[in-house]
Amino acid sequence: MSTVIWDDYLEKLIDSWKKEDSPSFTTSYLNRLRANALSRIESLRLPTIRDEEWRFTDISSLRNTLFSRASIVSLPSLDSQKSTFLDEPACRLVFVDGQYIPRLSSLTDDDSVTVCGLSELTGVCASKTEQFLGQLADFQDDVFVALNTALMHDGICIVIPANVSTMVPVHILYMTSGKEVAAYPRCLLVAEPGAEVTIVEEYVALQEGASLTNAVTEIYVGESARVNHIRVQREDLQAFHIANNATFVAKAAHYDSVSLALGARISRFDQKITLAGEGAECQIDGLALIAGRQLADTHTFIDHASPHGRSRQLHKCIVDERAHGVFSGEIMVRPHSQQTDARQLNHNLLLSEKARMDTKPQLEIFADDVKCAHGATVGQLDKESLFYLQSRGFAEEVARNLLTYAFGGEIINRVIVASLRQRLEEYILASTRIS
Amino acid sequence: MSAALQNLVNQPYKHGFVTNIESDIAPKGLNEDIIRLISSKKNEPEWLLTFRLEAYRRWLNMVEPVWQNVKYPKIDFQNISYYSAPKPKKKLASMDEVDPELLRTFEKLGIPMHERAALAGVAVDVIFDSVSVATTYKEKLAEVGIIFCSISEAVQRYPELIRQYLGTVVPPGDNYYAALNSAVFTDGSFCFIPKGVKCPMDLSTYFRINTEESGQFERTLIVAEEGASVSYLEGCTAPRFDTNQLHAAVVELIALDDADIKYSTVQNWYAGDENGIGGIYNFVTKRGLAKGRNSRISWTQVETGSAITWKYPSCILRGENSVGEFYSVAVTNHHQQADTGTKMIHIGPNTRSTIVSKGISAGQSNSSYRGLVRITPTARNARNYSQCDSMLIGSQCGAHTFPYIQVQNNSAQVEHEASTSKIGEDQLFYFAQRGIDAEEAVSMIINGFCKEVFQQLPLEFAVEATKLLSFKLEGSVG
Repeated sequence: MSTVIWDDYLEKLIDSWKKEDSPSFTTSYLNRLRANALSRIESLRLPTIRDEEWRFTDISSLRNTLFSRASIVSLPSLDSQKSTFLDEPACRLVFVDGQYIPRLSSLTDDDSVTVCGLSELTGVCASKTEQFLGQLADFQDDVFVALNTALMHDGICIVIPANVSTMVPVHILYMTSGKEVAAYPRCLLVAEPGAEVTIVEEYVALQEGASLTNAVTEIYVGESARVNHIRVQREDLQAFHIANNATFVAKAAHYDSVSLALGARISRFDQKITLAGEGAECQIDGLALIAGRQLADTHTFIDHASPHGRSRQLHKCIVDERAHGVFSGEIMVRPHSQQTDARQLNHNLLLSEKARMDTKPQLEIFADDVKCAHGATVGQLDKESLFYLQSRGFAEEVARNLLTYAFGGEIINRVIVASLRQRLEEYILASTRIS
Repeated sequence: MSAALQNLVNQPYKHGFVTNIESDIAPKGLNEDIIRLISSKKNEPEWLLTFRLEAYRRWLNMVEPVWQNVKYPKIDFQNISYYSAPKPKKKLASMDEVDPELLRTFEKLGIPMHERAALAGVAVDVIFDSVSVATTYKEKLAEVGIIFCSISEAVQRYPELIRQYLGTVVPPGDNYYAALNSAVFTDGSFCFIPKGVKCPMDLSTYFRINTEESGQFERTLIVAEEGASVSYLEGCTAPRFDTNQLHAAVVELIALDDADIKYSTVQNWYAGDENGIGGIYNFVTKRGLAKGRNSRISWTQVETGSAITWKYPSCILRGENSVGEFYSVAVTNHHQQADTGTKMIHIGPNTRSTIVSKGISAGQSNSSYRGLVRITPTARNARNYSQCDSMLIGSQCGAHTFPYIQVQNNSAQVEHEASTSKIGEDQLFYFAQRGIDAEEAVSMIINGFCKEVFQQLPLEFAVEATKLLSFKLEGSVG
């Protein structure tokens, strides 16, 4: 909960932003939205561990640095970044420090995807932006959404026309260029009724450095549409990563997501899904694989606002060394959302003595004819399984790593883009030291 | 909903009568003078007055908590009488000297205070408003060295024991209501089981609120020394008033090496009428310290009454191999609210805890489970299993689950699961097919749902709880 205190850190942040020659948008709607967000920030403050939603995630170290908004000095060349691109044909949208870079991007030549930068909105993107941007991710009570809305210098709107299935995935690649810069990327995806799309949202660091990413993604899944969303966060190990995703799922629509938190010193991911239409479904899965002194915090909120909704969730954390995993997953079943079927599972693996896990699955149910269940476990590898592998001749160390890999592999297997899945498998193999 | 069921669910609260007994009531309001008055009326030693005043001063600096999932109008703490005692208050030598009016009250409530107690085989301490009126079986218990008496008496007779243990598990500044209780508590039960003694009978306290504008602030302290064991029962009722009464008790349990304390509650305070008018605010702090090796603390609660139930009987598992258990059934109907659960704080190695919580909501009520399982870095090989099931009856009630799991040790194993269900048409049909009517079917299904908890209750309580539940809920499904 926010009280009316003018936070001096935010004040400095806004002041330094005002000193830059902040470009205004060509669309008056966006300028108005920005102004509203700016004035809202005045009565917000950065959350502390005294706020229930931030109890386990201490971001006070964020205050030590006044991250200035990046101005891009040198762009990476296309070739140098090849390794981060997908192998399969894709519609690729590249951002560097929150700015859309058309030169590194590659759009499809058919009209199955319409893409527009927020600074030069035209046609259907303009109307969808006015309709949805800022409507799904509410900035009234969330200071980071408000900051993103106020400070975004660019963003992108993606529209999938009605009844179109895009053949290639849409790959949105957010790159962070380095030290003490802040990026405020913003994305709006609208899948019109009956549309189908796979979207990959990926965060990578171009070089080492303590940077700040504050991202907001809004997704509208129209009636009977289908969106498959893969989110990979591989920021630098010194970085702060704060992201909000808000998804609206209309009648009979389906939303799938797999979120992976691998990088960043402190990462926080807020995912809010509203099953707004009757018979809307979602499956959201996640994996946090952290070590060192990393902190990965995932907050999910699934709002069953209509009858006959169905949700499935599996979230896993693998916490090694002195890392700290946080999970809070809330399922809300509103009155009249009868015949809801919700299931949530959270499994956590602690690999070292200093590792720490805080988990808080929550159910809030206001309808009686529903099936809701959640489960959470925190533990270590199963001794029986370890023994079994050892009895088959695996050294203990190898058996341990293999089981850890299998634990995380369940989530990785849900990534449907082949080259990305393979890359992630390699990453997790390397971090579990199986060779 | 069938008419017969409808009638049953709207059954009046049968313990809702008021006893016309002259009471000695302190003036309303809370200040240091009132605390001094309570202390002097009870002829307390200086250190206890200091304890109270310190708690009061801390309370003044505290703010009322707001995080709970229950709603109620702000309590005016100055509009409560903090002391109310049945008037003819002279030393009672035997049960025969108890005011006959009072005896009739307990007779009506079915509390065995006389010879019937012998048959029931339960030692009872009875607390009327704020004061303990009678304790049965004292001598028999004394033979084996067990002290079981009201806490005021214990303060007079065993001041060193009280001083040693009071406030060690729930410190005066623990929370808002615990601080208030520490400042103004008037009576309660004290129970001390010496080394190696297995208490030969169940001990029981019966609480009764009688006066309209008094609060009940009792304090229970149970100490089980090395190898001792005790099973303790607590029952509560109150008359029906249109105003709300505050009940802010503190219960402290201490188990030393190999000791075993089992604490069972059947709470049936007046819950308010079907429009949510009146009823008790039951804001209680209950906490057990499993201090010694292999000690065990077990909480069992059946919460059917109170307009608002807000409590978290907790276990601090400090001793190696100590065990904490929490079994709970919370039933809410009409406009009742419950925010209850437990805390299991694992500190010692090889500590184990089990949580089984069943919430049943009907009418327009809301019931929440809120629990904390914390495994500290020192609690190697700690183990917890939690299960929270909710049942919703009707479409206007709510069920909520807020478990907090905090693990700082990789050798710990923590499991939590929760589910929500309703009584299905197909289940009722199955019963009907076998010639069992809906009313009985519902009662059987609910009893099946709560079975794991009822099994933990001592026999007489289990029977009472089963009956209570069917009265409470029958008619909610039709």
